[in-house]
Amino acid sequence: MRVTDLTLGILTLLGGIAIYLSAMNFQAIPGQEYGAGTMPRAVAFVTGLTGLYMIVEAIMSGNRGIGFRFAEWTRSGAALARVATVLLLILGYILVSPIVGFVPTTIVVLVVAMLTLGTRLVPAVIVSVVATIVIQQSFGKLLLVPLPRSDFLSFLW
Amino acid sequence: MTSTLIEAAGLVFQPYVLGVIFCSAVFGMFVGAIPGLTATMATALLVPVTFFMDPVPAIAAIVTATAMAIFSGDIPGTLLRMPGTPASAAYVQDAFALTKKGTPELALGASLVFSSIGGIFGTLVLMTASPVLAEIALKFSSFEYFWLVVLGLSCAVFISPGSAARGLIALFIGLFAATIGLDNPAGAPRYTFGNVELLGGVQFIPAMIGLFAVSEVIRGFIHRRNTAPPPKTGNSSIFRQQFANLKKYPVQALRGSVLGTAIGALPGAGADIAAWISYAVSKKFSKTPEKFGTGHVEGIVEAGASNNGAMSGAWIPALVFGIPGDSITAIVIGVLYIKGLNPGPMIFITQPQMIYAVFIVFLLANLMMLPLGWVAIKSARQVLSIPTRVLMPIILMFCMVGSFAINNSVFGIWLMLIFGIVGFLMEENDIPIAPAILGLVLGPMLEQNFVTSMIKSDGSFVAFFERPISAGLGMFTIAIWMIPLVMLVVRRVRSPKPAMPDA
Repeated sequence: MRVTDLTLGILTLLGGIAIYLSAMNFQAIPGQEYGAGTMPRAVAFVTGLTGLYMIVEAIMSGNRGIGFRFAEWTRSGAALARVATVLLLILGYILVSPIVGFVPTTIVVLVVAMLTLGTRLVPAVIVSVVATIVIQQSFGKLLLVPLPRSDFLSFLW
Repeated sequence: MTSTLIEAAGLVFQPYVLGVIFCSAVFGMFVGAIPGLTATMATALLVPVTFFMDPVPAIAAIVTATAMAIFSGDIPGTLLRMPGTPASAAYVQDAFALTKKGTPELALGASLVFSSIGGIFGTLVLMTASPVLAEIALKFSSFEYFWLVVLGLSCAVFISPGSAARGLIALFIGLFAATIGLDNPAGAPRYTFGNVELLGGVQFIPAMIGLFAVSEVIRGFIHRRNTAPPPKTGNSSIFRQQFANLKKYPVQALRGSVLGTAIGALPGAGADIAAWISYAVSKKFSKTPEKFGTGHVEGIVEAGASNNGAMSGAWIPALVFGIPGDSITAIVIGVLYIKGLNPGPMIFITQPQMIYAVFIVFLLANLMMLPLGWVAIKSARQVLSIPTRVLMPIILMFCMVGSFAINNSVFGIWLMLIFGIVGFLMEENDIPIAPAILGLVLGPMLEQNFVTSMIKSDGSFVAFFERPISAGLGMFTIAIWMIPLVMLVVRRVRSPKPAMPDA
């Protein structure tokens, strides 16, 4: 998704205004004029200026269209489905791995991701299982990261 | 000095540290050789692992992996015309033309040997310049540091590809993300929305993994690039021709090393820009500029030395001022803070052995590059045959586990996902990533020095120009902003007005 220059300028200006307004209530250091709100307000001010500059530049150069256009790849339903899959896989891992455990979740995520990219089933399963064991052993055992445990393939832990 | 050097050598020459250096070198070679995976991504994937190491092996791992990745990016560039890292893109035309002529070893050998020379030159400059600069930096107050940070951020904005306005947007995204949490002068929660995890601020590592690695994985899922197997590298010697090249192009090798180191030392500019500028300079001063792009090794010699020189040069502002020279050193500064080694002039006094250990690691990495690079070139066909349809899912898994490992919480993966989508959308709109990372890393330093200076000066901006170095840095920064504006106005005034149509 690519927004037009004018739209990007307007969004930047609105972003600056939003940050400025939200920073109005941040408290100062006791006895001082400056504090938690100083930096966000300064950032907001310069962000707003950048937005204004982009708006003026877009209007002066004749790029007055507002809105966005989809990138070339979005015309392909398959590409859109692949992007949706990868995002859902990350989301799925976040939600499911603490309940089901690291090993089964990772195997499923890897197999689905590889199939999505066109790997055949048998190599996908073999590589996924091996990769999961390598990651579990290196992070879980070697680096002692408390990856979510599970009964499945429990001998690995 | 001698005892410090011996102590530093003792820190580096240990079986564990040497083992880490070797493994990181292999890892860096591998990541750099895969088209689409950059040296920055190698660092991003390595950081969660270094989290569990002592400071010296952690820094050694990053230094070695990035040095190797910058070189090995030349391998797919030469064999497939697909630069492994952006730093290799400048001379890919010449390198691939040599492959088509049946002499890829000549291009790869030149790239390997002169990368090593450039890297060693940059390290020597780093070793000699840093302590001197650190002595000067000891006299700096919050005003000088404020201007240095603003200068670094300004350079990042103007040097980044695309328009300065887009670079600024990236910078503000990073600076805004840096304001989240409790870590501010008043200790008040900002933009936490009642979330306890956000009180600690945006964790730098998941954000960086998201911006650099996850956005690349998303692109990998969109385009599903599968590379054709590369041609075989022949049996002729990789090193044989290089002595002749060194004799033929000593000025080019030196100029590439000097320019690369200088560009690397500029805050915000890294190996990518250094390689492009050096290639252009090489062509400009060449006796045979017409041969550039047709398989001429001269540009490879100069730009190859330059991009590795830049990698070392970028550490000068990072170590001396705590201001990163490029996006890789921005990540390194984050790691140094995590390890309790706050970069800045004081580290040269309190822990000089650490600094010398870093220097030794740099030299080792650039020397190890020669034998390991030889192995990488010889095994290039196997590495490049690994399909991305298998590699991308595994990288995604490493990203998730790495983001989880920082705080042992899935909150890190949430952050990674959000920043991954933000990074992807930024690049879809030609908004560069590097200024956002610099903003995120330098945000707290900018805020601390800005608020401290405002309190000290009682709100007067004149105080920012009262001390000589501060005034110099301030004027220089303002000039960087004003010159493009003045040139724009001059161009507008000078450009002839369109002729009015006859009524």
